[in-house]
Amino acid sequence: MKGAVSIALAAASCLSMIAALFMVFVYAPTEAEQGIVQRIFYFHLPCAWVAFLSFGIVAVAGALYLWLGHRIWDDLSYAAAELGMLFCTLVLVTGSIWAKPIWGTWWTWDSRLTTTFILWLLYGGYLLLRAFGEDNQEIARYAAVLGIIGVLDVPVIIISVRLWRTIHPAVLLTRQGEHGLQDPRMVAALLVSLGAFTLVFVWLLWLRLSTLRLRARIGGLRKELALLEVAGAGARR
Amino acid sequence: MLEGFGPIVRKDLRLELRSGESTVALLSLSTLILVVMVLVFGPGGARRAEVAAGALWLALIFAGTMGSTRALVAERETGCIRALLLSPVEPGTIYAAKLSVAMIFMAEAGAGVLLILVLFFNLEFGRALLSLIPVFLLGILGLAALCTLLATVSGRVRGGAMLLPVLVVPLFIPALIAGSKASAAVLSGQPLGSVITWIKLLCAFDVLFVAAGYLLFEHVILED
Repeated sequence: MKGAVSIALAAASCLSMIAALFMVFVYAPTEAEQGIVQRIFYFHLPCAWVAFLSFGIVAVAGALYLWLGHRIWDDLSYAAAELGMLFCTLVLVTGSIWAKPIWGTWWTWDSRLTTTFILWLLYGGYLLLRAFGEDNQEIARYAAVLGIIGVLDVPVIIISVRLWRTIHPAVLLTRQGEHGLQDPRMVAALLVSLGAFTLVFVWLLWLRLSTLRLRARIGGLRKELALLEVAGAGARR
Repeated sequence: MLEGFGPIVRKDLRLELRSGESTVALLSLSTLILVVMVLVFGPGGARRAEVAAGALWLALIFAGTMGSTRALVAERETGCIRALLLSPVEPGTIYAAKLSVAMIFMAEAGAGVLLILVLFFNLEFGRALLSLIPVFLLGILGLAALCTLLATVSGRVRGGAMLLPVLVVPLFIPALIAGSKASAAVLSGQPLGSVITWIKLLCAFDVLFVAAGYLLFEHVILED
């Protein structure tokens, strides 16, 4: 059953990604002002959406873990945090590639960029905790709490960074033309790309979750084995 | 609801009165940070108020995170946390007590930092410094709320004492922006009313994280 789900998700992800590539590079027209560079936007926004989605999952799964105590929720929040970090990195990278020719700089302390970067730091800390901590319930509960307060922090971060930027003089010459998707073909390409990235995300999440479940099972079996060895040694004596 | 609050706070304060460890550690660390800031940016100049505000918050954030780690490590080593958990005190109450103590220590260190700041940056004792106090207190309440909730990491993870600032600082950034902006404005002579937006933001941050800490503390304090 699990194998079938995995294969189905993989097939759906591959097909939708091919469709998205076609839509982005062939179907959608080239943007008049920005030219070919604008096409990276069809990858940038879906990555951002998936990153935010995963940070949401980290918090919800963390809360469910604290409430219900079943390990699967902890594994889910761990897997989502890893993927969130991956896609958040992709957002920053694709954004920089776009910003260099359009804004003339790789990075600027614009409110959206700053917010994304702070989130990146936040979930980087979360993953460091997971990496340094052992695989036990104390760390799992701690990580759940961290995931919850991380998401609580997101609106405050957005507000504070926006206020911070409006007080500073604007560095940018032009505003980001993200909402300038006049052509309906552009909107279609964006929607297909969003769907494709969501499918890829679900597939990766499924794979990672299965790996973490396997790891938990192996851990359990090892413990059992150790107990049996102790019992066997006692019996021989 | 807050039964047991008083004894825990009294115990921690008495411990500090007798050893003075936290005060010494916090004050020496924050003094060093201030010295570094003055050496790097220079004490004078047109942006004096901003540099002073930045130095204040930088000193506070690192002294605060390290101070709370230290306090908690001592608690674990002596088995005090376990005793507290065995006692019929609610985890939320333990959190409130620990938060109050952390706040007192940070305020104490902050008073010292402010004094040094006035000397180093040649600021005026006066209304500007008085207006800084509410901003400062709101800021350390938020920091103490986060540190108290998250400090248990230091005993649970290899290198946890290093990890705490890595976890706390990104979470604290909204309050850091609000606090440092408001402090800079106030130190350069603007009235408190002009930074009301930042103060509101600090209040919202404090309410959010004190409430979150109160509700979530039981999950981080429990031991397996």
